[in-house]
Amino acid sequence: METLWLVVLGTLTVGYFALAGFDYGTGLLLPFRRKDEALQRMTPFFLGNEVWLVAAIGVLFAAFPRLEGELLSGAHSVFTLVLAGLVLFMAAVQLRLWWWLAFTGALMVSVGWGLFLAHLLEAPWPVAFVMPALFAVHGWVFQNRRWTLFPLTALLCALPIPLAFSSIDVTGLMAHSDTLGLLAWVAIPIIPLVVLLQWSIVAISSR
Amino acid sequence: MSAVDLARLQFALTTSFHFLFVLLTLGLVTLLVIMQTRFTVTGAPVHERMTRFWGRIYVINYALGIVTGIVMEFQFGLNWSGLATYAGDVFGAPLALETLIAFFLESTFLGLWIFGWGKLNRWVHLALLYLTALTAYASAFWIMAANGFLQHPVGYRVEGNVLRLDDFSALLSNPTFNSALMHVIFASITVGGVFLTGVSAYHFIKRTPEVDFFRRSLRMGVITTALATPSLIGAGFAQFPIIAKFQPDKSEAAPWIGAPLGFMILIGMTLTLVSWLTLPLLIKDAVVRLRFPLYLMVIGIPLPFLAAIFGWMFREIGRQPWLVYGLLRTEEAVSHVDASQILLSLIVFTSLFVLLACVDWALIARAVRRGPDVAPAPVSPLVVTL
Repeated sequence: METLWLVVLGTLTVGYFALAGFDYGTGLLLPFRRKDEALQRMTPFFLGNEVWLVAAIGVLFAAFPRLEGELLSGAHSVFTLVLAGLVLFMAAVQLRLWWWLAFTGALMVSVGWGLFLAHLLEAPWPVAFVMPALFAVHGWVFQNRRWTLFPLTALLCALPIPLAFSSIDVTGLMAHSDTLGLLAWVAIPIIPLVVLLQWSIVAISSR
Repeated sequence: MSAVDLARLQFALTTSFHFLFVLLTLGLVTLLVIMQTRFTVTGAPVHERMTRFWGRIYVINYALGIVTGIVMEFQFGLNWSGLATYAGDVFGAPLALETLIAFFLESTFLGLWIFGWGKLNRWVHLALLYLTALTAYASAFWIMAANGFLQHPVGYRVEGNVLRLDDFSALLSNPTFNSALMHVIFASITVGGVFLTGVSAYHFIKRTPEVDFFRRSLRMGVITTALATPSLIGAGFAQFPIIAKFQPDKSEAAPWIGAPLGFMILIGMTLTLVSWLTLPLLIKDAVVRLRFPLYLMVIGIPLPFLAAIFGWMFREIGRQPWLVYGLLRTEEAVSHVDASQILLSLIVFTSLFVLLACVDWALIARAVRRGPDVAPAPVSPLVVTL
Protein backbone atom coordinates (compact mmCIF):
# COMPACT_ATOMS: atom_id res chain seq x y z
CA MET A 1 0.00 0.00 0.00
CA GLU A 2 2.84 2.36 0.89
CA THR A 3 4.60 1.74 -2.43
CA LEU A 4 1.36 2.16 -4.34
CA TRP A 5 0.81 5.66 -2.93
CA LEU A 6 4.40 6.66 -3.54
CA VAL A 7 3.87 5.60 -7.16
CA VAL A 8 0.59 7.55 -7.40
CA LEU A 9 2.16 10.67 -5.93
CA GLY A 10 5.21 10.22 -8.15
CA THR A 11 3.06 9.83 -11.28
CA LEU A 12 1.06 12.96 -10.52
CA THR A 13 4.17 15.01 -9.78
CA VAL A 14 5.94 13.73 -12.89
CA GLY A 15 2.77 14.52 -14.89
CA TYR A 16 2.73 18.08 -13.62
CA PHE A 17 6.39 18.85 -14.27
CA ALA A 18 6.49 17.11 -17.64
CA LEU A 19 3.50 19.17 -18.81
CA ALA A 20 4.66 22.33 -17.05
CA GLY A 21 7.59 22.66 -19.44
CA PHE A 22 5.22 23.52 -22.30
CA ASP A 23 3.71 26.60 -20.84
CA TYR A 24 6.26 27.87 -18.33
CA GLY A 25 8.94 27.11 -20.93
CA THR A 26 7.00 29.02 -23.55
CA GLY A 27 6.53 31.85 -21.04
CA LEU A 28 10.27 32.01 -20.35
CA LEU A 29 11.07 32.17 -24.08
CA LEU A 30 8.49 34.85 -24.84
CA PRO A 31 11.00 37.74 -25.03
CA PHE A 32 12.83 35.91 -27.80
CA ARG A 33 9.94 34.69 -29.91
CA ARG A 34 6.91 35.81 -31.87
CA LYS A 35 4.48 36.17 -28.98
CA ASP A 36 1.20 35.34 -30.70
CA GLU A 37 2.49 32.27 -32.45
CA ALA A 38 4.21 30.93 -29.33
CA LEU A 39 1.10 31.41 -27.18
CA GLN A 40 -1.13 29.93 -29.86
CA ARG A 41 0.93 26.76 -29.95
CA MET A 42 0.68 26.44 -26.17
CA THR A 43 -3.10 26.91 -25.99
CA PRO A 44 -4.27 23.27 -25.92
CA PHE A 45 -1.84 22.59 -23.08
CA PHE A 46 -2.71 25.69 -21.07
CA LEU A 47 -4.15 24.69 -17.65
CA GLY A 48 -3.42 21.06 -18.58
CA ASN A 49 -0.56 20.87 -16.09
CA GLU A 50 -2.21 22.69 -13.20
CA VAL A 51 -4.82 19.97 -12.83
CA TRP A 52 -1.98 17.51 -12.16
CA LEU A 53 -0.57 19.83 -9.52
CA VAL A 54 -3.94 20.11 -7.78
CA ALA A 55 -4.36 16.33 -7.86
CA ALA A 56 -0.84 15.82 -6.50
CA ILE A 57 -1.42 18.16 -3.55
CA GLY A 58 -4.79 16.49 -2.89
CA VAL A 59 -3.11 13.08 -2.71
CA LEU A 60 -0.29 14.49 -0.60
CA PHE A 61 -2.86 15.81 1.89
CA ALA A 62 -4.93 12.63 2.19
CA ALA A 63 -2.28 9.93 1.84
CA PHE A 64 0.66 11.70 3.51
CA PRO A 65 -1.11 14.00 5.99
CA ARG A 66 1.84 14.28 8.36
CA LEU A 67 4.20 15.14 5.52
CA GLU A 68 2.00 17.63 3.62
CA GLY A 69 1.77 20.32 6.26
CA GLU A 70 5.42 20.16 7.26
CA LEU A 71 6.60 20.14 3.65
CA LEU A 72 4.49 23.09 2.57
CA SER A 73 4.76 25.23 5.68
CA GLY A 74 8.49 24.44 5.84
CA ALA A 75 8.94 26.30 2.56
CA HIS A 76 6.24 28.90 3.13
CA SER A 77 7.77 31.81 1.24
CA VAL A 78 8.95 29.60 -1.63
CA PHE A 79 5.38 28.49 -2.22
CA THR A 80 4.16 32.06 -1.93
CA LEU A 81 6.51 32.80 -4.84
CA VAL A 82 5.36 29.75 -6.87
CA LEU A 83 1.69 30.49 -6.34
CA ALA A 84 2.02 34.22 -7.01
CA GLY A 85 3.84 33.33 -10.24
CA LEU A 86 1.08 30.90 -11.17
CA VAL A 87 -1.61 33.51 -10.61
CA LEU A 88 0.26 36.12 -12.65
CA PHE A 89 1.13 33.72 -15.46
CA MET A 90 -2.38 32.39 -15.86
CA ALA A 91 -4.03 35.80 -15.64
CA ALA A 92 -1.54 37.30 -18.09
CA VAL A 93 -1.92 34.52 -20.64
CA GLN A 94 -5.69 34.82 -20.37
CA LEU A 95 -5.55 38.56 -20.94
CA ARG A 96 -2.98 38.36 -23.72
CA LEU A 97 -2.13 41.96 -23.13
CA TRP A 98 1.21 42.05 -21.45
CA TRP A 99 3.63 39.38 -22.61
CA TRP A 100 6.19 40.56 -20.04
CA LEU A 101 3.74 39.72 -17.26
CA ALA A 102 3.40 36.17 -18.58
CA PHE A 103 7.21 36.03 -18.72
CA THR A 104 7.54 37.32 -15.14
CA GLY A 105 4.93 34.84 -13.94
CA ALA A 106 6.67 31.92 -15.64
CA LEU A 107 10.01 33.05 -14.21
CA MET A 108 8.59 33.27 -10.68
CA VAL A 109 7.03 29.80 -10.89
CA SER A 110 10.13 28.13 -12.27
CA VAL A 111 12.58 29.88 -9.92
CA GLY A 112 10.16 28.99 -7.11
CA TRP A 113 10.28 25.31 -7.99
CA GLY A 114 14.05 25.60 -8.26
CA LEU A 115 14.22 27.05 -4.75
CA PHE A 116 12.00 24.22 -3.54
CA LEU A 117 14.41 21.74 -5.12
CA ALA A 118 17.33 23.44 -3.38
CA HIS A 119 15.35 23.34 -0.12
CA LEU A 120 14.66 19.60 -0.48
CA LEU A 121 18.30 18.82 -1.30
CA GLU A 122 19.60 21.31 1.27
CA ALA A 123 21.68 22.63 -1.60
CA PRO A 124 22.91 26.23 -2.03
CA TRP A 125 20.43 28.63 -3.68
CA PRO A 126 22.06 28.79 -7.16
CA VAL A 127 20.68 25.25 -7.66
CA ALA A 128 17.35 27.06 -8.05
CA PHE A 129 18.30 28.04 -11.60
CA VAL A 130 18.24 24.40 -12.68
CA MET A 131 14.46 24.45 -13.02
CA PRO A 132 14.04 27.57 -15.18
CA ALA A 133 16.89 26.33 -17.38
CA LEU A 134 15.24 22.94 -17.87
CA PHE A 135 11.82 24.49 -18.49
CA ALA A 136 13.28 26.88 -21.04
CA VAL A 137 15.04 24.06 -22.90
CA HIS A 138 11.86 21.99 -22.89
CA GLY A 139 9.85 25.00 -24.06
CA TRP A 140 12.35 25.52 -26.89
CA VAL A 141 12.13 21.88 -27.97
CA PHE A 142 8.34 22.12 -27.87
CA GLN A 143 8.14 25.41 -29.77
CA ASN A 144 10.57 24.22 -32.45
CA ARG A 145 8.86 20.84 -32.75
CA ARG A 146 12.02 18.85 -32.13
CA TRP A 147 9.95 15.78 -31.32
CA THR A 148 12.93 13.40 -31.07
CA LEU A 149 14.36 15.42 -28.19
CA PHE A 150 10.94 15.93 -26.67
CA PRO A 151 10.67 12.86 -24.38
CA LEU A 152 14.17 13.53 -23.10
CA THR A 153 13.57 17.15 -22.09
CA ALA A 154 10.14 16.25 -20.68
CA LEU A 155 11.84 13.69 -18.47
CA LEU A 156 14.54 16.17 -17.45
CA CYS A 157 11.85 18.62 -16.30
CA ALA A 158 9.84 15.92 -14.59
CA LEU A 159 12.47 14.12 -12.57
CA PRO A 160 14.44 16.50 -10.30
CA ILE A 161 11.71 17.21 -7.75
CA PRO A 162 10.28 13.64 -7.49
CA LEU A 163 13.86 12.37 -7.14
CA ALA A 164 14.61 14.89 -4.42
CA PHE A 165 11.40 13.72 -2.72
CA SER A 166 12.67 10.17 -2.62
CA SER A 167 15.21 11.19 0.01
CA ILE A 168 12.32 11.70 2.48
CA ASP A 169 11.54 8.78 4.74
CA VAL A 170 7.74 8.51 4.82
CA THR A 171 7.39 5.94 7.61
CA GLY A 172 4.85 7.20 10.11
CA LEU A 173 3.88 10.12 7.90
CA MET A 174 1.28 8.26 5.87
CA ALA A 175 -2.42 7.91 6.51
CA HIS A 176 -3.87 4.72 8.01
CA SER A 177 -4.57 1.92 5.56
CA ASP A 178 -8.32 2.47 6.11
CA THR A 179 -8.02 5.83 4.33
CA LEU A 180 -5.50 4.62 1.76
CA GLY A 181 -7.59 1.60 0.79
CA LEU A 182 -10.66 3.74 0.18
CA LEU A 183 -8.78 6.25 -1.96
CA ALA A 184 -6.96 3.61 -3.99
CA TRP A 185 -10.22 2.59 -5.68
CA VAL A 186 -10.51 6.10 -7.01
CA ALA A 187 -6.94 7.09 -7.79
CA ILE A 188 -5.95 4.04 -9.83
CA PRO A 189 -8.63 4.20 -12.57
CA ILE A 190 -8.69 8.00 -12.76
CA ILE A 191 -5.07 8.69 -13.67
CA PRO A 192 -5.09 6.65 -16.94
CA LEU A 193 -8.50 8.12 -17.77
CA VAL A 194 -7.19 11.67 -17.46
CA VAL A 195 -4.12 10.80 -19.56
CA LEU A 196 -6.41 9.45 -22.27
CA LEU A 197 -8.71 12.48 -22.15
CA GLN A 198 -5.85 15.01 -22.19
CA TRP A 199 -4.31 13.20 -25.11
CA SER A 200 -7.67 13.46 -26.90
CA ILE A 201 -7.71 17.23 -26.28
CA VAL A 202 -4.35 17.59 -28.00
CA ALA A 203 -5.37 15.22 -30.81
CA ILE A 204 -8.62 17.08 -31.43
CA SER A 205 -7.20 20.57 -31.30
CA SER A 206 -4.46 19.72 -33.80
CA ARG A 207 -7.05 18.39 -36.27
CA MET B 1 -1.71 40.59 14.61
CA SER B 2 -0.65 37.09 15.60
CA ALA B 3 0.09 34.29 13.12
CA VAL B 4 -3.29 32.68 13.82
CA ASP B 5 -5.21 35.93 13.19
CA LEU B 6 -3.33 36.54 9.95
CA ALA B 7 -3.87 32.97 8.79
CA ARG B 8 -7.57 33.23 9.57
CA LEU B 9 -7.89 36.50 7.71
CA GLN B 10 -6.07 35.00 4.75
CA PHE B 11 -8.31 31.94 4.76
CA ALA B 12 -11.43 34.11 4.88
CA LEU B 13 -10.26 36.26 1.98
CA THR B 14 -9.03 33.36 -0.19
CA THR B 15 -12.19 31.33 0.35
CA SER B 16 -14.45 34.29 -0.31
CA PHE B 17 -12.74 35.15 -3.58
CA HIS B 18 -12.66 31.51 -4.63
CA PHE B 19 -16.32 31.05 -3.85
CA LEU B 20 -17.37 33.97 -6.07
CA PHE B 21 -15.89 32.09 -9.05
CA VAL B 22 -17.39 28.78 -7.89
CA LEU B 23 -20.91 30.21 -7.67
CA LEU B 24 -20.89 31.56 -11.20
CA THR B 25 -19.25 28.40 -12.59
CA LEU B 26 -21.84 26.08 -11.05
CA GLY B 27 -24.74 28.36 -11.92
CA LEU B 28 -23.73 28.89 -15.53
CA VAL B 29 -22.87 25.27 -16.25
CA THR B 30 -26.36 24.26 -15.12
CA LEU B 31 -27.98 26.72 -17.52
CA LEU B 32 -25.57 25.78 -20.31
CA VAL B 33 -26.72 22.19 -19.97
CA ILE B 34 -30.29 23.32 -20.69
CA MET B 35 -29.22 25.54 -23.61
CA GLN B 36 -27.04 22.96 -25.31
CA THR B 37 -29.60 20.19 -24.78
CA ARG B 38 -32.20 22.32 -26.53
CA PHE B 39 -29.76 23.00 -29.35
CA THR B 40 -28.81 19.35 -29.74
CA VAL B 41 -32.43 18.21 -29.74
CA THR B 42 -33.98 20.96 -31.88
CA GLY B 43 -30.99 22.06 -33.94
CA ALA B 44 -32.25 25.67 -33.71
CA PRO B 45 -29.38 28.15 -34.27
CA VAL B 46 -30.50 30.48 -31.46
CA HIS B 47 -29.78 27.79 -28.89
CA GLU B 48 -26.35 27.23 -30.35
CA ARG B 49 -25.61 30.93 -30.20
CA MET B 50 -26.82 31.05 -26.62
CA THR B 51 -24.58 28.13 -25.68
CA ARG B 52 -21.65 29.85 -27.35
CA PHE B 53 -22.17 33.28 -25.79
CA TRP B 54 -22.84 32.11 -22.23
CA GLY B 55 -20.29 29.32 -22.62
CA ARG B 56 -17.59 31.84 -23.41
CA ILE B 57 -18.32 33.70 -20.17
CA TYR B 58 -18.38 30.41 -18.30
CA VAL B 59 -14.95 29.39 -19.62
CA ILE B 60 -13.34 32.74 -18.72
CA ASN B 61 -14.69 32.47 -15.21
CA TYR B 62 -13.64 28.83 -14.87
CA ALA B 63 -10.08 29.39 -16.04
CA LEU B 64 -9.49 32.22 -13.58
CA GLY B 65 -11.35 30.41 -10.82
CA ILE B 66 -8.89 27.51 -11.06
CA VAL B 67 -6.11 29.82 -9.97
CA THR B 68 -7.90 30.83 -6.79
CA GLY B 69 -8.64 27.15 -6.18
CA ILE B 70 -4.97 26.21 -6.37
CA VAL B 71 -4.07 28.81 -3.75
CA MET B 72 -7.00 27.56 -1.64
CA GLU B 73 -5.67 24.02 -1.70
CA PHE B 74 -2.07 24.93 -0.87
CA GLN B 75 -3.26 27.07 1.98
CA PHE B 76 -4.23 24.07 4.11
CA GLY B 77 -0.66 22.85 4.10
CA LEU B 78 0.97 26.28 4.22
CA ASN B 79 -0.92 27.84 7.10
CA TRP B 80 -2.85 25.03 8.78
CA SER B 81 -0.43 22.11 8.92
CA GLY B 82 -1.95 21.10 12.28
CA LEU B 83 -5.20 20.20 10.51
CA ALA B 84 -3.56 17.65 8.21
CA THR B 85 -1.40 16.27 11.01
CA TYR B 86 -4.34 15.73 13.34
CA ALA B 87 -7.32 15.08 11.07
CA GLY B 88 -5.78 14.47 7.63
CA ASP B 89 -6.80 10.79 7.59
CA VAL B 90 -10.47 11.74 7.79
CA PHE B 91 -10.77 15.30 6.47
CA GLY B 92 -8.28 14.51 3.69
CA ALA B 93 -10.40 11.71 2.23
CA PRO B 94 -13.24 13.87 0.84
CA LEU B 95 -10.69 16.54 -0.07
CA ALA B 96 -8.62 14.10 -2.14
CA LEU B 97 -11.76 12.64 -3.69
CA GLU B 98 -12.71 16.15 -4.74
CA THR B 99 -9.38 16.77 -6.45
CA LEU B 100 -9.37 13.35 -8.16
CA ILE B 101 -12.99 12.51 -9.06
CA ALA B 102 -14.25 16.02 -9.42
CA PHE B 103 -11.71 18.69 -10.29
CA PHE B 104 -9.19 16.53 -12.19
CA LEU B 105 -11.95 15.07 -14.39
CA GLU B 106 -14.04 18.24 -14.58
CA SER B 107 -11.23 20.33 -16.06
CA THR B 108 -10.36 17.60 -18.51
CA PHE B 109 -13.96 17.15 -19.70
CA LEU B 110 -14.24 20.91 -19.99
CA GLY B 111 -11.03 21.03 -22.04
CA LEU B 112 -12.45 18.44 -24.41
CA TRP B 113 -15.70 20.39 -24.62
CA ILE B 114 -13.82 23.61 -25.47
CA PHE B 115 -11.51 22.13 -28.08
CA GLY B 116 -14.09 19.68 -29.40
CA TRP B 117 -16.47 22.48 -30.40
CA GLY B 118 -17.55 21.84 -34.00
CA LYS B 119 -15.16 18.89 -34.27
CA LEU B 120 -17.04 16.22 -32.38
CA ASN B 121 -20.41 14.58 -32.96
CA ARG B 122 -22.90 16.95 -31.33
CA TRP B 123 -24.32 14.28 -29.02
CA VAL B 124 -20.81 13.41 -27.85
CA HIS B 125 -20.15 17.10 -27.38
CA LEU B 126 -23.34 17.45 -25.33
CA ALA B 127 -22.36 14.42 -23.25
CA LEU B 128 -19.07 16.18 -22.42
CA LEU B 129 -20.96 19.18 -21.04
CA TYR B 130 -23.15 16.86 -18.97
CA LEU B 131 -20.02 15.22 -17.59
CA THR B 132 -18.48 18.62 -16.85
CA ALA B 133 -21.63 19.68 -14.98
CA LEU B 134 -21.84 16.38 -13.14
CA THR B 135 -18.23 16.55 -11.98
CA ALA B 136 -18.72 20.22 -11.01
CA TYR B 137 -21.57 19.14 -8.72
CA ALA B 138 -19.42 16.28 -7.46
CA SER B 139 -16.85 18.91 -6.53
CA ALA B 140 -19.41 20.78 -4.42
CA PHE B 141 -20.49 17.46 -2.91
CA TRP B 142 -17.01 16.48 -1.65
CA ILE B 143 -16.04 19.96 -0.48
CA MET B 144 -19.25 20.26 1.51
CA ALA B 145 -18.66 16.77 2.94
CA ALA B 146 -15.23 17.95 4.10
CA ASN B 147 -16.68 21.16 5.52
CA GLY B 148 -19.52 19.22 7.18
CA PHE B 149 -16.88 17.19 9.01
CA LEU B 150 -15.30 20.38 10.40
CA GLN B 151 -18.73 21.56 11.61
CA HIS B 152 -19.72 18.25 13.17
CA PRO B 153 -17.01 15.56 13.13
CA VAL B 154 -18.32 12.03 12.52
CA GLY B 155 -16.97 8.69 11.29
CA TYR B 156 -13.62 8.92 13.11
CA ARG B 157 -11.83 7.17 15.93
CA VAL B 158 -9.05 8.64 18.06
CA GLU B 159 -5.77 6.75 17.88
CA GLY B 160 -2.98 8.26 19.98
CA ASN B 161 -3.07 11.93 19.11
CA VAL B 162 -4.51 11.66 15.62
CA LEU B 163 -7.90 10.89 14.10
CA ARG B 164 -8.40 7.80 11.92
CA LEU B 165 -11.12 7.13 9.37
CA ASP B 166 -13.61 4.74 10.95
CA ASP B 167 -16.82 4.96 8.95
CA PHE B 168 -16.73 6.77 5.64
CA SER B 169 -20.49 6.50 5.12
CA ALA B 170 -21.01 8.55 8.30
CA LEU B 171 -19.24 11.45 6.58
CA LEU B 172 -21.78 11.27 3.77
CA SER B 173 -24.86 11.10 6.00
CA ASN B 174 -23.60 13.90 8.24
CA PRO B 175 -26.59 16.19 8.94
CA THR B 176 -24.37 19.30 8.74
CA PHE B 177 -23.41 18.22 5.20
CA ASN B 178 -26.64 17.34 3.39
CA SER B 179 -28.81 20.41 3.88
CA ALA B 180 -25.81 22.73 3.48
CA LEU B 181 -24.97 21.07 0.16
CA MET B 182 -28.48 21.68 -1.13
CA HIS B 183 -28.25 25.27 0.10
CA VAL B 184 -25.00 25.82 -1.80
CA ILE B 185 -26.33 24.19 -4.98
CA PHE B 186 -29.49 26.29 -5.05
CA ALA B 187 -27.42 29.39 -4.25
CA SER B 188 -25.30 28.68 -7.35
CA ILE B 189 -28.34 28.15 -9.55
CA THR B 190 -29.77 31.41 -8.21
CA VAL B 191 -26.50 33.16 -9.09
CA GLY B 192 -26.77 31.73 -12.63
CA GLY B 193 -30.36 32.94 -12.94
CA VAL B 194 -29.66 36.42 -11.59
CA PHE B 195 -26.57 36.72 -13.80
CA LEU B 196 -28.45 35.75 -16.99
CA THR B 197 -31.25 38.15 -16.09
CA GLY B 198 -28.90 41.05 -15.34
CA VAL B 199 -26.72 40.66 -18.42
CA SER B 200 -29.77 40.32 -20.69
CA ALA B 201 -31.32 43.39 -19.06
CA TYR B 202 -28.10 45.30 -19.75
CA HIS B 203 -28.44 44.49 -23.45
CA PHE B 204 -32.05 45.64 -23.49
CA ILE B 205 -31.01 48.89 -21.79
CA LYS B 206 -28.47 49.31 -24.62
CA ARG B 207 -31.34 48.65 -27.07
CA THR B 208 -29.80 45.50 -28.46
CA PRO B 209 -30.83 44.36 -31.95
CA GLU B 210 -30.58 40.77 -30.63
CA VAL B 211 -34.12 40.89 -29.22
CA ASP B 212 -34.98 37.22 -29.58
CA PHE B 213 -31.63 36.09 -28.16
CA PHE B 214 -31.83 38.22 -25.02
CA ARG B 215 -35.56 37.76 -24.55
CA ARG B 216 -34.96 34.03 -24.27
CA SER B 217 -31.97 34.55 -21.96
CA LEU B 218 -33.88 36.97 -19.75
CA ARG B 219 -36.84 34.62 -19.45
CA MET B 220 -34.56 31.75 -18.63
CA GLY B 221 -32.84 33.87 -15.98
CA VAL B 222 -36.04 35.04 -14.29
CA ILE B 223 -37.66 31.60 -14.33
CA THR B 224 -34.49 29.96 -12.99
CA THR B 225 -34.31 32.48 -10.14
CA ALA B 226 -38.00 32.07 -9.32
CA LEU B 227 -37.68 28.28 -9.25
CA ALA B 228 -34.38 28.11 -7.34
CA THR B 229 -34.97 30.68 -4.59
CA PRO B 230 -37.78 28.88 -2.69
CA SER B 231 -35.63 25.72 -2.46
CA LEU B 232 -32.63 27.87 -1.54
CA ILE B 233 -34.54 29.39 1.36
CA GLY B 234 -35.99 26.02 2.33
CA ALA B 235 -32.55 24.41 2.48
CA GLY B 236 -31.34 27.43 4.46
CA PHE B 237 -33.98 27.26 7.15
CA ALA B 238 -33.65 23.47 7.31
CA GLN B 239 -30.22 24.07 8.82
CA PHE B 240 -31.41 25.90 11.93
CA PRO B 241 -32.61 22.78 13.82
CA ILE B 242 -29.33 21.05 12.90
CA ILE B 243 -27.28 23.99 14.16
CA ALA B 244 -29.39 24.12 17.34
CA LYS B 245 -28.60 20.46 17.94
CA PHE B 246 -24.88 20.29 17.07
CA GLN B 247 -23.57 23.85 17.48
CA PRO B 248 -25.94 25.39 20.04
CA ASP B 249 -23.70 28.41 20.72
CA LYS B 250 -23.08 29.26 17.05
CA SER B 251 -24.87 32.62 17.31
CA GLU B 252 -22.67 33.62 20.26
CA ALA B 253 -19.35 33.04 18.48
CA ALA B 254 -19.09 36.78 17.81
CA PRO B 255 -21.35 39.59 19.02
CA TRP B 256 -22.10 40.76 15.45
CA ILE B 257 -22.53 37.33 13.83
CA GLY B 258 -26.29 37.81 13.49
CA ALA B 259 -25.77 40.68 11.04
CA PRO B 260 -24.40 38.75 8.03
CA LEU B 261 -27.00 36.04 8.63
CA GLY B 262 -29.73 38.66 8.63
CA PHE B 263 -28.46 40.30 5.44
CA MET B 264 -28.25 36.94 3.70
CA ILE B 265 -31.84 36.09 4.60
CA LEU B 266 -32.98 39.54 3.52
CA ILE B 267 -31.30 39.17 0.10
CA GLY B 268 -32.75 35.68 -0.34
CA MET B 269 -36.27 36.86 0.46
CA THR B 270 -35.92 39.89 -1.83
CA LEU B 271 -34.74 37.79 -4.78
CA THR B 272 -37.62 35.35 -4.29
CA LEU B 273 -40.20 38.10 -4.09
CA VAL B 274 -38.83 40.11 -7.01
CA SER B 275 -38.40 37.11 -9.31
CA TRP B 276 -41.99 35.95 -8.67
CA LEU B 277 -43.30 39.49 -9.23
CA THR B 278 -41.38 39.60 -12.53
CA LEU B 279 -42.87 36.34 -13.84
CA PRO B 280 -46.22 37.87 -14.97
CA LEU B 281 -44.29 40.79 -16.48
CA LEU B 282 -42.60 38.36 -18.89
CA ILE B 283 -45.89 38.18 -20.80
CA LYS B 284 -45.61 40.21 -23.99
CA ASP B 285 -42.22 41.52 -22.81
CA ALA B 286 -43.85 43.98 -20.41
CA VAL B 287 -40.68 43.96 -18.32
CA VAL B 288 -38.63 45.20 -21.28
CA ARG B 289 -41.12 47.87 -22.27
CA LEU B 290 -41.40 49.18 -18.72
CA ARG B 291 -37.60 49.64 -18.73
CA PHE B 292 -37.08 50.54 -15.04
CA PRO B 293 -37.07 46.85 -13.95
CA LEU B 294 -34.15 46.36 -16.33
CA TYR B 295 -32.00 48.71 -14.27
CA LEU B 296 -32.92 46.86 -11.07
CA MET B 297 -31.90 43.59 -12.74
CA VAL B 298 -28.42 44.93 -13.53
CA ILE B 299 -28.02 46.33 -10.01
CA GLY B 300 -29.15 42.96 -8.66
CA ILE B 301 -26.24 40.97 -10.14
CA PRO B 302 -23.95 41.28 -7.06
CA LEU B 303 -26.70 40.50 -4.52
CA PRO B 304 -26.61 36.68 -4.52
CA PHE B 305 -22.79 36.79 -4.42
CA LEU B 306 -22.93 39.02 -1.36
CA ALA B 307 -25.52 36.79 0.28
CA ALA B 308 -23.29 33.75 -0.22
CA ILE B 309 -20.31 35.46 1.43
CA PHE B 310 -22.52 36.48 4.37
CA GLY B 311 -23.75 32.91 4.66
CA TRP B 312 -20.23 31.51 4.76
CA MET B 313 -19.21 34.11 7.35
CA PHE B 314 -21.98 32.86 9.64
CA ARG B 315 -21.13 29.22 9.06
CA GLU B 316 -17.36 29.55 9.49
CA ILE B 317 -17.02 32.26 12.14
CA GLY B 318 -19.84 30.58 14.03
CA ARG B 319 -17.66 27.46 14.35
CA GLN B 320 -14.98 29.31 16.28
CA PRO B 321 -12.96 28.79 18.43
CA TRP B 322 -12.91 25.33 16.89
CA LEU B 323 -11.39 24.26 13.59
CA VAL B 324 -12.74 20.73 13.95
CA TYR B 325 -15.74 21.31 16.19
CA GLY B 326 -15.13 20.07 19.72
CA LEU B 327 -11.84 18.36 18.77
CA LEU B 328 -9.23 20.78 17.42
CA ARG B 329 -8.95 24.44 18.32
CA THR B 330 -8.10 26.89 15.56
CA GLU B 331 -4.96 28.19 17.29
CA GLU B 332 -3.64 24.64 17.73
CA ALA B 333 -3.82 23.95 13.99
CA VAL B 334 -1.86 26.92 12.70
CA SER B 335 1.53 26.09 11.13
CA HIS B 336 4.73 26.79 13.01
CA VAL B 337 5.77 29.61 10.77
CA ASP B 338 6.70 33.16 11.47
CA ALA B 339 3.80 35.64 11.44
CA SER B 340 5.80 37.75 8.98
CA GLN B 341 5.76 34.92 6.43
CA ILE B 342 1.99 34.65 6.69
CA LEU B 343 1.70 38.41 6.45
CA LEU B 344 3.79 38.39 3.27
CA SER B 345 1.63 35.73 1.64
CA LEU B 346 -1.51 37.49 2.86
CA ILE B 347 -0.47 40.73 1.18
CA VAL B 348 0.71 38.99 -2.00
CA PHE B 349 -2.37 36.81 -2.45
CA THR B 350 -4.92 39.42 -1.49
CA SER B 351 -3.57 41.92 -3.99
CA LEU B 352 -3.32 39.25 -6.68
CA PHE B 353 -6.85 38.07 -6.02
CA VAL B 354 -8.21 41.58 -6.21
CA LEU B 355 -6.39 41.82 -9.54
CA LEU B 356 -7.80 38.47 -10.62
CA ALA B 357 -11.36 39.45 -9.71
CA CYS B 358 -10.87 42.65 -11.74
CA VAL B 359 -9.49 40.68 -14.69
CA ASP B 360 -12.43 38.29 -14.47
CA TRP B 361 -14.83 41.20 -14.34
CA ALA B 362 -13.08 42.98 -17.23
CA LEU B 363 -12.97 39.90 -19.45
CA ILE B 364 -16.59 38.98 -18.74
CA ALA B 365 -17.67 42.59 -19.31
CA ARG B 366 -15.79 42.55 -22.63
CA ALA B 367 -17.48 39.32 -23.68
CA VAL B 368 -20.85 40.67 -22.54
CA ARG B 369 -20.47 43.99 -24.39
CA ARG B 370 -19.34 42.24 -27.53
CA GLY B 371 -22.62 40.34 -27.53
CA PRO B 372 -23.40 37.03 -29.20
CA ASP B 373 -21.53 35.60 -32.17
CA VAL B 374 -19.39 38.55 -33.25
CA ALA B 375 -15.97 37.70 -31.94
CA PRO B 376 -13.32 39.05 -34.29
CA ALA B 377 -10.68 38.94 -31.55
CA PRO B 378 -10.77 36.23 -28.90
CA VAL B 379 -11.26 37.34 -25.31
CA SER B 380 -8.94 34.68 -23.98
CA PRO B 381 -6.81 31.96 -25.57
CA LEU B 382 -9.07 29.29 -24.18
CA VAL B 383 -12.14 30.71 -25.84
CA VAL B 384 -10.57 31.16 -29.27
CA THR B 385 -12.19 27.94 -30.27
CA LEU B 386 -15.60 28.78 -28.84
